[in-house]
Amino acid sequence: MSAVPILEVENVSKRFGNFVALNNVSTRFEAGKLSAIIGPNGAGKSTFFNVVSGAFPPSAGTLKFQGRDITGTAQHEFARIGIAKSFQITTVFKQLSAHENVRVAAQMRSARYQLLTPRAKLTALSDRAHELLARVGLASLHDRTAADLAHGQQRALEVAMALASEPTLLLMDEPTAGMSPEETKVMMDLIVQLAAERSVIIVEHKMKLVMGICERLLVLHHGEFLAEGTPDEIRANTEVRRVYLGQG
Amino acid sequence: MRQAFEFVRRHRVAAVIAFLMVFPLLMPYHALAINILLFGLFAVGFNLLFGYTGLLSFGHAAFLGVGSYLTGIAMVHGGWPWWAAVVLGVACAGVAGLAIGFLAIRTRGIYFSMVTLALGQIVYYAFYKAERWTGGENGLRGIQVPAVEIGGLRLDFLNPVTKYYVILAFVALALWFVSRILASPFGAVIEAVRENDRRAAACGYDVARTKLLVFVLSALICGLAGALRALHLSIVPIDSLHYLLSGQAVMMCLLGGMGTFFGPFVGAGVFLTLEDVVTVFTKHWMAVVGGVFMFFVLFFPSGIWGTLVKRMERVR
Amino acid sequence: MEITPSLLALQLVTGIALGAVYALLAIGLSLIFGMLTVVNFAHGAFFMVGAFIGLYFMGLTGNFWFSLVLTPLVVGALGLVTERFLVRPLYGRGIDYPLLLTFGLSWVLIEAMRVMFGIEGLPSSTPPELRGAVDLGIGFFPKYRLFLIFATAVVVLALWLFLEKTRYGLIVRAGSRDGEICKVLGIDIARVWLVVFGIGTAIAGLSGVLAAPTRAVNPEMGIHVLAESFVVTVVGGMGSLPGAVLAGLLVGIVFSLTSLFAPDLAELSIFVLMAVVLLLRPQGFFGKQGLMS
Repeated sequence: MSAVPILEVENVSKRFGNFVALNNVSTRFEAGKLSAIIGPNGAGKSTFFNVVSGAFPPSAGTLKFQGRDITGTAQHEFARIGIAKSFQITTVFKQLSAHENVRVAAQMRSARYQLLTPRAKLTALSDRAHELLARVGLASLHDRTAADLAHGQQRALEVAMALASEPTLLLMDEPTAGMSPEETKVMMDLIVQLAAERSVIIVEHKMKLVMGICERLLVLHHGEFLAEGTPDEIRANTEVRRVYLGQG
Repeated sequence: MRQAFEFVRRHRVAAVIAFLMVFPLLMPYHALAINILLFGLFAVGFNLLFGYTGLLSFGHAAFLGVGSYLTGIAMVHGGWPWWAAVVLGVACAGVAGLAIGFLAIRTRGIYFSMVTLALGQIVYYAFYKAERWTGGENGLRGIQVPAVEIGGLRLDFLNPVTKYYVILAFVALALWFVSRILASPFGAVIEAVRENDRRAAACGYDVARTKLLVFVLSALICGLAGALRALHLSIVPIDSLHYLLSGQAVMMCLLGGMGTFFGPFVGAGVFLTLEDVVTVFTKHWMAVVGGVFMFFVLFFPSGIWGTLVKRMERVR
Repeated sequence: MEITPSLLALQLVTGIALGAVYALLAIGLSLIFGMLTVVNFAHGAFFMVGAFIGLYFMGLTGNFWFSLVLTPLVVGALGLVTERFLVRPLYGRGIDYPLLLTFGLSWVLIEAMRVMFGIEGLPSSTPPELRGAVDLGIGFFPKYRLFLIFATAVVVLALWLFLEKTRYGLIVRAGSRDGEICKVLGIDIARVWLVVFGIGTAIAGLSGVLAAPTRAVNPEMGIHVLAESFVVTVVGGMGSLPGAVLAGLLVGIVFSLTSLFAPDLAELSIFVLMAVVLLLRPQGFFGKQGLMS
């Protein structure tokens, strides 16, 4: 286990006009762990996710990845430096096939601006895409148009796409949103497997899911830091219990 | 039938060229055939940005016009040989694409269409006012290409049939180029950006730079169409730069099928033939073409070729 | 030519009058865009139709005021028909489709005017009551231009009152910010869209009838006007009514003053202004940041 945290958030705030979505949040995520960001609705989880995943910069504060300051880095740089993400609302290339979705994600590292070689020649990328599809259980659906996949399958596709860039850190915004209990189990098992190989941070509001599998939790409330620690520590935390009373 | 369709699509460049080689024999007169060639190329360039990347520009006449004018100016004022003038025309169109693209990319969605229209008008007014070089309202005149010399062969450019095949040679080259781009890894990036630019960025692609690069490539193709048009007409009318001509490219692309390889040519053919046929009966062809276009927008947005492709794929 | 203060003032007034026309056009565009997310590429054509119909009614009745009231109603009605039968079927498809449709419509409208009134256009003239000039102390100013400015101010005020003070205006404003709210409140959003499109095109028609005495009235007059109203919208910020007014005035003044000092660069100047705004503040002076990049 490395000493340098995979992600450091220092005094990060985010304002939208007069509305303060995040207020002076500081925390560290350790490398190699499966961590979760939890909190009741309106806690600022999505805003926090968007800031650390590069969707927009913070209004104040610093973001560090493996010790390097990445505050204000453009969105497309994130995947290049090793941070990949999946969105809360499934965001895939709807009119492309499942295989092509993953293949184009995998292509990023090696062939962005090649104009004249036929991409059909890049068989290594195509094979890699097939491997990733198999990893998430979509091997048989590789030539199906993404728009025609079931909801759970689309979310699995997005995971495959995120993995395609070989990330050191995988960020997932409510990975089980809209899924049936069976699909949820499959996704959570996949996440645990993925966390064995890299750092994973997920945003979740289903407490039961994260308590079982996550090693570290960050609790947000009204855009502010409330608590952080292991599931046991969080369970015992009186502040957290007060905030979550009645919520499951 | 379906197998023939698939074969044609897989060998698209060859198919288009083969068709275009016999095309003059099908057309009532050669000027129409040449016009369809030139506007087809214009529409192909435009389609790269609109159909494949999803960016609706209303200022593409600027690139056609810059290609035409710079080619003409080099020949008329500079005495350059035609082939060097064409290279200059294309290059300048690319530079214009870089400048306009850089400013336009800063906008999103529908705003983009308005901005490209207005930026295109800057070029229009600039060339309109630079009378000494461009002839202003009367256009640039006196572009003479009596003959084209390739190797030892001397081709009579004034003969419309010869002219057609010389221009076709350039168009074929451009089509090959476009086909390669579309089949390349970059072509995949273009489609990804069109489908979902947020996802493309999350995957690591610089969306703005991608769009700008497509803009420039599109401008180069349209610039070539313009350069060849200058050689064909021997003049460059000022309307070459007006947004109404940009609108024609849009119409042709939609009528034929945007985002398809054959669509732009089909659209150009339909548009220009329709214009020709309608003017026989009435001078109010704009109303007819406008009406036909609205009909397609409402009921056949995939265009003629695009609808055909969809029918074929549904049968699968 | 010597630039005297009174010449400058005159040019300024001309610029404000021109700006008033631009402001009205931009307001119509912004209303339609803010509410329906549609860029009306036929806006210049509706302006042109307004000019023609305005002159026609004036010729028919000899009464400018009658024409001033009736023309926007006629053009607005045309807008209602357009929205209901041509634009509405396209909601839910990509954002480009209504734009494309209105572009095709502009071709039909231009040709329709050619059919009805001939390709040369109509001779325009200032209504007799508003001819001549008025002495405002610092110089003589054309009555009609002053009237144009005044009329525009009245229309803008009326519109502001409608949007801020009436219930329907509240719905329009709410709708433009969040269409979902209307659905939740049980308001027929389709009806609101229809009315807003009608109002937007009616204002375009009104600007046409107001502008007719100041320029040549021919079927092509809307073509350049469309481009110019886009400039105003970019500078002011799409979807912003104060932006439309201020940017309209600014663009009109810039054009007018440039015509005085460097006539050759007049048309170019306003487009260069737009390019500069794009470089420094792409969302326009009053535009919302979300619309840009």
